[in-house]
Amino acid sequence: MSSPKPNRRRRLLQVRTPVSPMQALISSIGIWVVFFGGWIFATSMGWVNPILVPSPAQVFRSIYLLFANDGFASDVLISVGRVLFAFALACLVAVPTGVAMGAFPAIDAVLAPFVSAWRYLPAPSFIPILLMWFGTGEEPKIALLFLGVIFFLITLIADHTKEVRKELIETAMTLGAGRSITVFQVMLPAVLPNILVAMRQMLAVVWTYLVIAEIVASTTGIGAMMMRARRFLHTDQIMGGIIVIGALGLIFDRLFAVLHRRLFPYLQDSR
Amino acid sequence: MATPLMQIDRVSKRFELSGGRTLTAVSDVSFSVEKGSICALLGPSGSGKSTILRMIAGLETLSSGAIRLKGQDIDGPGQDRGMVFQAYTSFDWLSVRKNVEFGMRINGLSARERRERAEHFIDLVGLSNFIDTYPSRLSGGMRQRVAIARTLANAPEVLLMDEPFGALDAETRWQMQELMIEVAGASGTTMVIVTHDIEEAIFLADKIEFLSSHPGRLREEITPDFKPAERIRNKEQLLELGGFAETERKIMRLMREEGRH
Repeated sequence: MSSPKPNRRRRLLQVRTPVSPMQALISSIGIWVVFFGGWIFATSMGWVNPILVPSPAQVFRSIYLLFANDGFASDVLISVGRVLFAFALACLVAVPTGVAMGAFPAIDAVLAPFVSAWRYLPAPSFIPILLMWFGTGEEPKIALLFLGVIFFLITLIADHTKEVRKELIETAMTLGAGRSITVFQVMLPAVLPNILVAMRQMLAVVWTYLVIAEIVASTTGIGAMMMRARRFLHTDQIMGGIIVIGALGLIFDRLFAVLHRRLFPYLQDSR
Repeated sequence: MATPLMQIDRVSKRFELSGGRTLTAVSDVSFSVEKGSICALLGPSGSGKSTILRMIAGLETLSSGAIRLKGQDIDGPGQDRGMVFQAYTSFDWLSVRKNVEFGMRINGLSARERRERAEHFIDLVGLSNFIDTYPSRLSGGMRQRVAIARTLANAPEVLLMDEPFGALDAETRWQMQELMIEVAGASGTTMVIVTHDIEEAIFLADKIEFLSSHPGRLREEITPDFKPAERIRNKEQLLELGGFAETERKIMRLMREEGRH
């Protein structure tokens, strides 16, 4: 039996061995090059029906035309506004509720069975009734986005609050803290970074419900534009809409990452 | 002799387990703690030493008996009994200074007083150079220093420590033990420390309560009276003292007997 040589040849697939920065860069760019390369190749060779699969160049040109000529910017702003309004509303309810559930088992005992049951009801199944209740204005859309994330957000925040270490709470109590100081000055700041992470995950989900809301019943917003485009076989505009939504999601995700770094400087380069 | 600062009077603790069974963790334990003294609770695991400390802190209820501080029955946790845990308890979102000021702030001390006391105790534990640093950037031993300063600055009648140096490496550990002797001398604080480290108990304590296991009972009270009245400040000196080896042997024998149960 031979012992392993000190400079064994590196294999491509190595269990839990980090890749070099160069390999990471090449890999991350490479996958997109392959994706767009395949797309361009397929469309230029005429392998696909250009009405169903337009070329990337055409998709990006139609994004430009949508913004330049068709007032698409106002659709985008309306969609962003819906997402942010509904999400802010959900956070306003979920943060106090989740923290209260995590801090007080008596509250958790009441709300947990209720909240976790609602999580299993798909929000889009409420669309018909939301339309009957609220008509076709902004209300049913905001309601759908709200319903889509609120129960997950509450559960995530409650779970994170329950994970605040017992010793931190007991330390506060032996320093003389009562209930409100323990909750507001120890548990809340301890869980805040995780609340922000939960928000970041759930904001992505809000975008999903936005498209559903705007496709089902809307004359404004990115989803409505995509449904209009479908009627005139403008696949390039539909794909443009998808790309714009993806880009917006990415921007908001990065904003959350920056916010996390700004708000919690003590979490950076810790030992 | 005057009445002791704290009396633990026939204290028992039973935990209700699932299936209607009960576990007696502490059974009929009595001892007293004199003002300004250091008392160690020593014993094998399962001797209920941490449970006793948690009952003193008010973090566990008593099943029977009483704990009196200055003649008053204790009722729940309070700032008169500060506690340092084995796990890190630094409030990571606050600087070292704000950590140490926390207790004083919630107890309504003026900003000037907080500042002065915080600086005094941070200096005492040797962290003056890190006063505006976040605890997450400190080593394990330094974080325990923050916890000790934070508790002392809150002016407790008694400082409770639950294996406070258990997670530290050997070198940091004896540095911290020497620091505690220094802190006790400078502040005159009464301390109760839970440990399973025999040497630590002998070095720090004026009185050692040795507990037997399953259930936790007081087996023997050991006074390491071979030590001089003035507490020795460095650990080598302790090892040189005649009487140290004998005390350590005696406690080791007790430990071994308990282990046979």
